[in-house]
Amino acid sequence: MIEFHLDRGSGVATYLQLVHQVRQALRLGELRPGDQLPTAREVVERLAINPNTVLKAYRELEHEGLVEGRPGMGTFVRQGVAGPTLADHTRLRRGLEAWVREARAAGLDQEDLRALFSVVLADASKEGAA
Amino acid sequence: MIWVTWRQHRAQILLTAGFLAVLGVLLLGSAVEARLYVAGHAPPGCPGPAVACAELEVALGRRYDAVYSVFGWMPLVLPALIGAFWGAPLLGREYERGTHRLAWTQSVPVWRWLAVKLSVLAGAVVAGGLLLSLMVSLWRPVFRAGIDSSFGNIGVFNMVGVAPAAWWLYAFALGTLAGAVFRRTLPAMALVVAGVAATMAALFGLSDHYAEPARAELTGTVVLDDVDARLVRAAWVEPSGREVADPAGSGCPLRADAGRSSRNAEAWQECLFAKGYRYAMYYHPPSRFWRFQWTEAGILLLASAAFGGLAVHRTLRRPG
Amino acid sequence: MRPALEATGLGVRYRRSWALRDCSLAVPAGRVAALVGPNGAGKTTLMHAAVGLLRPARGSVRVAGEAAFVAQDKPLYDGFTVAETLAFGRRMNTRWDGDAAADRLARLGIPLDRKAGGLSGGQRAQVAITLALARRPDLLVLDEPLANLDPLARHDVMRAIMAEVAERELTVLLSSHVVSDLEETCDWLVVLNDGRLQVSGDIEDLLAGHLVLTGPADTPSPAGVSVVGESRTGRQAGLLVRGGPVPDPRWRARRASLEELVMGYLRSPASAALPGLAGVGA
Repeated sequence: MIEFHLDRGSGVATYLQLVHQVRQALRLGELRPGDQLPTAREVVERLAINPNTVLKAYRELEHEGLVEGRPGMGTFVRQGVAGPTLADHTRLRRGLEAWVREARAAGLDQEDLRALFSVVLADASKEGAA
Repeated sequence: MIWVTWRQHRAQILLTAGFLAVLGVLLLGSAVEARLYVAGHAPPGCPGPAVACAELEVALGRRYDAVYSVFGWMPLVLPALIGAFWGAPLLGREYERGTHRLAWTQSVPVWRWLAVKLSVLAGAVVAGGLLLSLMVSLWRPVFRAGIDSSFGNIGVFNMVGVAPAAWWLYAFALGTLAGAVFRRTLPAMALVVAGVAATMAALFGLSDHYAEPARAELTGTVVLDDVDARLVRAAWVEPSGREVADPAGSGCPLRADAGRSSRNAEAWQECLFAKGYRYAMYYHPPSRFWRFQWTEAGILLLASAAFGGLAVHRTLRRPG
Repeated sequence: MRPALEATGLGVRYRRSWALRDCSLAVPAGRVAALVGPNGAGKTTLMHAAVGLLRPARGSVRVAGEAAFVAQDKPLYDGFTVAETLAFGRRMNTRWDGDAAADRLARLGIPLDRKAGGLSGGQRAQVAITLALARRPDLLVLDEPLANLDPLARHDVMRAIMAEVAERELTVLLSSHVVSDLEETCDWLVVLNDGRLQVSGDIEDLLAGHLVLTGPADTPSPAGVSVVGESRTGRQAGLLVRGGPVPDPRWRARRASLEELVMGYLRSPASAALPGLAGVGA
């Protein structure tokens, strides 16, 4: 089962953080179809956040078609939802590691790497949206 | 709510009960001891009018004095303690500790909290006072039969009949009000002690007026034959029937007495009586015991009700 | 739906000065409402009026159902054991869930035979809150529940309250003068300032309805929005505005954080964001 955590300084809305974490877990294969998400009470007891926030995050995930609520049972990852395969992951990760080594050799530090990555990511999503 | 009252005030309740129990044992012990003493030392025919009995009475009186010193202060100290430890903390401690915000935000409404606490504790206080009165009333005659009754001696008067119950209740109500006003225990305790002492002094002064004093005109003596009467005042009555405080125009010379002798005063009195003067005494006879008891209890009860009402009003008006 | 807490024209006076004046608000049922404001703003007064510890001089305050209250100093009878404290709660209330209370304390590892006076600050807060929750209240009023607690105890206390909210229909009104305490836990905001109500509303709606604008100091105030507060430092100006969007390109706009929103209003006591009372219950 997924264990949520909060980054309180991030400025990202709490419910979005939960949504991101579920998406990420799906991508990394940590959550598989049929898996149950923790109940609102369980999340709330762990993170001390408003239960409505959890419900809102789950509604958002449901809306995206990633999970489904089964009345009286809980919220489950839907069948047929699958991220990239593990093999894909390994291959892409290798590539990224090589790129990081190259950038380090070119004199970029941690901050520079992050900034560069975000910019590329943002541009890519803009292109995707256009 | 009764359990809550018991749990919060059980220390006072148990301590007071314990004190009364110890006092009871003490009084019982001294009474039994006195009876044994009488049985062992009394000449035949005593107690009775025989001259030989006087010696026994004197001896008993001495024994009584020894025990009496134990509770000579009780008429004043006990109500003060009741007020300080039963009354003052009742509201004062709640406010002081902030627990009133716990107690008065439960389902039980504030007025019911007050009603239960006040009635249960006031009931216990009155019961304690009555018990004390009963014990003292049973014990005193053993020593003091024929010496005095419980009317003339104001200290004893306040320990018998309904007086202790009324005084305890009064002190409890005063303490409760003081706690509600100061919202702290210690100042409320101080006020109770001062208030009880002041009230006792005030009522002592006032008690002469509980009834119109009886008047007796004496000739040949200035001593009332009833040892337990409460003397209010006295005056000389001229042969013409006019009362004067100082019979200066009588022509009888009054010379100062030396030391403990009262020879000159007695000579002066005899001279006055011989010239037709009489001695008028205003006093309350011991037969008025219950009238005085109830009058005093009535005053204290009214004051208690007023204090209790004020405390309740104040608390309900602004509980926070 | 009936609001869980409703104040109408509420005014409370201490001797000559008003601690709270003309305060009208409604908190819908099921919400976790944050009551914020500087010290002395009237937060405690509003709470005391809501739970009946104060008689209002003007107006009224009404709670739908039972309200349970935990005062700021978490008052308990120090001489009572924890078990006796629970017995006190049972005997002082008509509704009482003693099993749930005992369970909670057992889970928290608070021994029942400990005297309340001997508990740590966090344990004391937990016992006080357990006592309030065992009454199964419809409205839970907590005056500065996190004050004087260490970070771990703060987290534990908040977890306990949030779990209860997740479990059943419970409305919570909790006060704090530290806004960051409330960011993740509250979904309704009430701002009091100097005895007056400044803000009352759904936090998401409020955040969505406000923008922080930054731009050159000489930029004219934007049209079409109402300016809550502004600060100009040197060449830069910062505005908190209600409404939007702002078409003027010289202003860069972003969503306000809860802290910025609260601070913006507290710095401008004349501004207010209050819904019409009729719309609040929906």
